[in-house]
Amino acid sequence: MSTGEIYLDGAASTPLDPRVIETMDDAARRGAGNVASIHWAGVAAARCVERARAIVAGRLGATPDEIVFCGSGTEGNNHAVLGTAWAEGRGHLVISAVEHASVLEPARWLETQGFSLTLLPVDSGGRVRPADLAQALRPETILVSVHHGNNESGAVQPIADLGRICRSHPVRFHVDACQSFGKLPVRPDEMGADLVTVDGHKLHGPHGVGALYVREGIALAPLLRGGGQERGLRSGTHNTEGIAGFGRAVELADEADAERLAGLRQHLLERLRAAIPTLCEVAGSGPVLPSVLTVRFPGHSGKAIAMELSRRGIAVGTGSACQAGEDRPSRVLLAMGLTPGQCMEAVRFGLHRFLDEAMLDRTVEVLTEVPGNRGQA
Amino acid sequence: MSQESSPPAGFLDLTGVPCPANASRALLRLELLDAGDLLELLVDDGEPRINVPAALEAEGHAVVAREQTTTGTWRLLVKRG
Repeated sequence: MSTGEIYLDGAASTPLDPRVIETMDDAARRGAGNVASIHWAGVAAARCVERARAIVAGRLGATPDEIVFCGSGTEGNNHAVLGTAWAEGRGHLVISAVEHASVLEPARWLETQGFSLTLLPVDSGGRVRPADLAQALRPETILVSVHHGNNESGAVQPIADLGRICRSHPVRFHVDACQSFGKLPVRPDEMGADLVTVDGHKLHGPHGVGALYVREGIALAPLLRGGGQERGLRSGTHNTEGIAGFGRAVELADEADAERLAGLRQHLLERLRAAIPTLCEVAGSGPVLPSVLTVRFPGHSGKAIAMELSRRGIAVGTGSACQAGEDRPSRVLLAMGLTPGQCMEAVRFGLHRFLDEAMLDRTVEVLTEVPGNRGQA
Repeated sequence: MSQESSPPAGFLDLTGVPCPANASRALLRLELLDAGDLLELLVDDGEPRINVPAALEAEGHAVVAREQTTTGTWRLLVKRG
């Protein structure tokens, strides 16, 4: 980032921590071997991978054998959904209407292959009602998948309540925790989860690396077949440097970091409200991720505001997904009951470790100068 | 396993863990111990019982005892170098 630029889109991706880069550099120099080779170079590479595995497992309260490294959060989510379906052969899946596309799309595809699917609605705060889950479960349900924290709204789901309902049925519970890992406690045992997806680049680690927690005893079909790495669940030569960096990033993410983020989020919200009183917080009615603040600027285009901020060196996210060159309202925000027009007013601020209050104050100052918001301060 | 009088400072079950991840996990655990401390390992028969001691010895640790269990796995006692 150049001097003066402010990166405020941490829900899309976070900047690499320099300490993570050091670890990756070290792994790249020392871990030249293939993790599957038995010679000294293989041991050195395996040491990088196993160190990271122990760190990720420790943070999750899991055993090292329950961690399957993969290439992304998307891969982990696909693996949880498709791997369960292929292991079971048939059945019914339940996912929330606000899941990431990497859960929704494989589930939709399974529908075309003879599986059935129920989408759970959410309330106006973007959260699943546990009673809706209890009602959706059937004897043939094989998988429930609900994320921990939402990437668009920031809403945190009542995961432990949902997990308790799943535990009283013979059904697997998958939690996509890519947004919350390193910011909120993610403990599969406390969540009642059998499968949990986490990834690296949302917590100042590298792109292209993630992990799927697979509870001991859970049968899962692999997505990739070949050399049998990761206990046969994920064939393919390990991304040693990436995995080492992921482990270091997990090691660096602590509770103090999360508290600081929550403070920054509150600071930004207060400053925004003071400067632009018409602004509406999305998902503010319940628990939210400390790293995501999504707001609407009534009467204004969120995308236009984001583009204008970008021209002035500030990167933020919007609530709309640009697909095939056409603006469509976010299905996540629509599911929360926002109108298509309201969805287009959304701007998402993604907080992360390398922001401070002065940067947030500068962002608010620039926002009030953006055409359309001028005069509202 | 009776040659060392002091009790092991740690135990690691590496059965089912393939080479060289098994040796790597043992090395990581040894890093947490003090020089002279003992680590007890359980490894599979076959390649692991050969590869794991070799990898540990290459890093300066000593395998001071080894015995096969009734289930065929191997119990190793390693002194941190």
